[in-house]
This record gives sequence, structure tokens and C-alpha cells, in this order.
Amino acid sequence: MDMERLVVVWCPGLQEEGPRGEEARRFVQVVAGAGALCPWVHPVRLGVCALPARGPARFFGGEEVVVQRLVEAVEEDALVGVADGLFAAVLAARSQLIVPPGGTVEFLAPWSVATLARPELAVTLQRLGITTLGRFADLPRAHVSDRFGADAAACHQVARGESGELAGLRDRAIERRLRVARGEDPDVGTEPPPYQPGFFGGASAADTRAALSFARVQERLGVDAVLIGRVQGGRDPADQSTLVPWGSPAAAIDAVAPWPGRLPPPSPTHVLRVPLRVEVVDAAGVACAVSGRGLLNGEPSRLSVDGGPWEPIVAWAGPWTVTERWWSVRRRRARFQVVTADGAARLLCTERAQWWVEALYD
Amino acid sequence: MFAFRSDAESPQRPRELPVGLAARVRPTTPVAGRTMPVPPALRPLFPDGVLRRGTTTTVAGLPGQGATTLALALLSAASQSGSWSAAVGLPDPGVVAVAELGIDLRRVVFVPHPGSGWGEAAGDLLPGVDMVLVRPPGRARQTVARHLSARARERQTALVVLVDHVNDWPEGGDLALSVGAIEWEGVGRGHGYLQGRRAQVRVSGRRSAGRPVECSLWLPAASGGIATAEEKEGPGSPGPGSGPEAA
Repeated sequence: MDMERLVVVWCPGLQEEGPRGEEARRFVQVVAGAGALCPWVHPVRLGVCALPARGPARFFGGEEVVVQRLVEAVEEDALVGVADGLFAAVLAARSQLIVPPGGTVEFLAPWSVATLARPELAVTLQRLGITTLGRFADLPRAHVSDRFGADAAACHQVARGESGELAGLRDRAIERRLRVARGEDPDVGTEPPPYQPGFFGGASAADTRAALSFARVQERLGVDAVLIGRVQGGRDPADQSTLVPWGSPAAAIDAVAPWPGRLPPPSPTHVLRVPLRVEVVDAAGVACAVSGRGLLNGEPSRLSVDGGPWEPIVAWAGPWTVTERWWSVRRRRARFQVVTADGAARLLCTERAQWWVEALYD
Repeated sequence: MFAFRSDAESPQRPRELPVGLAARVRPTTPVAGRTMPVPPALRPLFPDGVLRRGTTTTVAGLPGQGATTLALALLSAASQSGSWSAAVGLPDPGVVAVAELGIDLRRVVFVPHPGSGWGEAAGDLLPGVDMVLVRPPGRARQTVARHLSARARERQTALVVLVDHVNDWPEGGDLALSVGAIEWEGVGRGHGYLQGRRAQVRVSGRRSAGRPVECSLWLPAASGGIATAEEKEGPGSPGPGSGPEAA
């Protein structure tokens, strides 16, 4: 039952190769566009590519975000969906759905048996009154393999949500076709090099040794467990830098450039992916807030992180107000640096009367 | 035979190994290659002013006391000279701070959330990189600690262990650094900004030649790097030249 959770990008206009063969070239662009977001995009067949959902979802903060980012990253008309196993994920993409984990059987049930792409089996089943995958799944397993044979048994497993792979679902020649479309030698493998591309003139022995050890950790903990940092422009600590999976194309490093509006160094050593709620009150116990004009209503005196004990504030600086994303939703935020009695310094942010710990200086 | 054996147990005995034997046993490891540079401000803490490969260094400090900054700073000089390093279990690392400390971002990987697999991940990385920084999620089990230290020795990798308390690493380190008495400069009540953290760093441990050393550091300085702190000066003075450049 442990099928890999996959995101599938399904391009309706690129399913068949036309007389001029431009579909393959356009599909190369689709794969490249998706590849800019996540390095493990693999083409399934013309017009369909898939990528693992778990890593990017954790990285970008949810499957919905990944789907949205993919739709934006791909220039073609693309439908995107998420489900367990390739078969269900392709259907999910066609219906633009995110099927919850474990919901595969329920999701597949109403689909026609014709979706299995086994015309003879479909006709036979339909004559028996078995028109949907759900009804097919209800047949006893032994009967299916006895009566219809091994391939039908494989289809049955897919309908029961026990397998996501089905012969014919993947086009084995797709990689080769795409290499031709890219104008590359079709007979040369395109396995990614075992080191970070673009880092070195050539991989030294030390680089190769390092790369092998990273790959071992990726095998153990998942490809998104080993990250490399890059620095870019941005006001927020979280925007200034990103961690991208080691080996991904996005991991090529930009120069560290100055940018306006950032706090001067030293920068926080921990930038929380998920900010922590914090309460900040003045000496009288009144919650501190920043007015529309960027003024603080009282002097911060104590804070409590995530419902924890109150800690006296010994020093603080700010507010630095930030008005951001003015082109879409106006967000007015103010940032403070706060030092508590134990000497710990934190970067706090307040927005609409709620305070957050954004980063720590350890 | 027994007489021979009791002879060999005298403590002086191992020193009488034939001259040059060590070199012949390890013909591929030149002496110079067994050490790695540390930033100038940290040199007084290290015997001979260098970080030895194959050793375990613990860095202890409660959250907020600057232990992360110190541990990362240990990697910086070697990173700039092309060494690979890895940080395991350091949650949500601030990449800008890492760069400001002088670590080459192209040669450091982070495994921020290894969960219970932190020991295995560190074990996988020790043969591959020159330095592994590991932050165990709590007190490390003795078997894991012993295994990692032994593997570091065997693979001639520097192991840096970041812990809250020095006892959280049951094996103890060859060198044990601890941070304390911190004080932020540059920020008052409603003015200024964090410019530097003065900290006392103390070193002890098997390899510290028995003499605890203590020094006062900017951890970090206003550049984001680290620097030696003179006794109580103005906050604006953290040595601009002595810390690594914030590339």
C-alpha cells in the first residue's frame, strides 16, 4: 500500500506528436520549467511528467503551493494534480485535484474502466456490467487473475489502490525522444552528474567523495534532506536566503549581493521556517502593538514564546516597518530585535497585532 | 613471555616505537594534511592554533548563548581553503549568518531535520567531507557518540558536536569549548541594533594539554564574522579586519 505520492503535470495540448514534431520541443520546455522548481521531474510520456510530492510540499509549504507554483512555472496549458501512485496522480492531474493520502481507492472508484487503456478488457468488463474502477476493484482478486490473466490482475491491483504502476503508463522511449528534441545525442545517457553542476571546473577527488556521501544521506533520509544554502536579495531573513536540495539545478549559487532594506549584520543563525507565536507586553501587562504610523504604544517589558514562561526584556530595538507586496496584498509589518534576561536575542515581527518570533541569534 | 608482557604495560613503553614507524604505517597522510586552519580569533583556543583532523570538539552553550555561532565559525577558515563540511541537525540554519561567518556556501551542506537518523546521517557524511558539525537532538547515546568519534578518527575528519551541556556528549571531546557570560552590544531600550555579542569562551579537554584557556570573543562581531574582543570597549569597535569577510 505504500505508493509514492506524486505530483503530475498533464499538458492537454501535448499528448500526441503532431506532424511538425514541435510538441516534443514544447514538452522539453515544460519539463525544464517544472525542473526549475524541483530537480526530480521525470517525464512519463509525451505531455505528462511527474515529480515526488513529499519533498517539494515540505519545502514550499504544502501541496497546494507546489501545484500553484508548477502552474506558474510551466508556460504551456498544464493541469496539475497530486495523488498516491502514478496512475491515480495522472487522473488527478486531468481533473486538477489533490487527492488526500490514502484516498486513492475512493478517488478511482467512479472512473471508467476505459481509463486503464486496455480496450479489450474494458469491453468485456462493460458487458458484464462492470463499468467503473470501483466495481472492478470489488471483484475477488483470485477470480480476476483466473479469468482475465496476469495483465488484468495488475489492472485490478491498480483499481484497488495497491499499485500505481501499470504497463504502458510510462513511455520507455520518452527520455530518448526528449534528447532528440533538445538536439542532443540520443544515445548518451542524461543521468545527472554526481556532483553539483556548475560548481567546479571538474570534480576533484574530494568533490566526488563528498558527493557520494551526500547521496548516501539522501538515500537514507530522502532527496530533500540534504540542502545547500544560497543567498539572494530580500528584506526578510526568510527571503534573503533559501535552502535548496543538494544536486538540484536551483542550487547553483548566486553571488551574495547587497540589497535595500535588510537589517545590518550580524544576521540570525536560525531562521524559523514556521514562525513561533509570541506575546509581548509592557510593564503594566498590556499587549504591545505598533500603530499605523509605525509607533509603539508602550515599552516592551516581557515576552512569552508559544505560551511559555514570561521572560523579562532587557534590550530591544525597532520598530523597522516593512510595507511589502504592495502590488497584491498590502502587508504592513514591523520588526524588532529583542534581548531577554538570559542573553538570548530574537528577531520578532508583528503584523495585525500578532507577534511572531522569526529568527534566533544563537 | 609473561615477563615480556608486563614490561610492555609500563606507560613509557609506547613511546619507544621505532622512529618513523607512524609515517610508514600511514604513508599517504602528510603531517600538514592532518590539520585544518581555524579563524585567527580562535587560534589561542587550539593547541598549535589548528584543528586536528580525526578529533572530536564539543561546543557547549544553552540556546541563545552563541554556541551555534562558535561552532559554525570553527568551520569557516577551512571552508575558505576549499574543505567540504556538513551540518547535521542544525534546525533552520540562517544561511546569511553562515555566509557572514565566512563559510563558503558552495562547500557546505545542511541536513537540518534528520530526526532520529542524525547519527546515521553524520556517520554517512564523515567519510565524505572534511568537517562534520552535528547537533544531537538531546543527550546522545554513548554507543552513538563512541561510534561517531571513532569513525571521525578513522576517516580523519574533524567532528564538531554542538550541545547544550558538555555532558550531553557522553564520550567527551578531545577539546571541549563552552560559551558563557554573553552580552549584546549596540542595542538599548528602543534604539540601536544588535551589533555584536561579547562572549567568554573556555576550552578544556583531553587535548588541551591540561590547561584550561579562556578568551573573550566577539561572537559575532559587527561584520557578522568573529573577532577577538579587547577588554570592555565601545560597541562600535569589534575588530573589522580580524573577522572573516562577510563575502
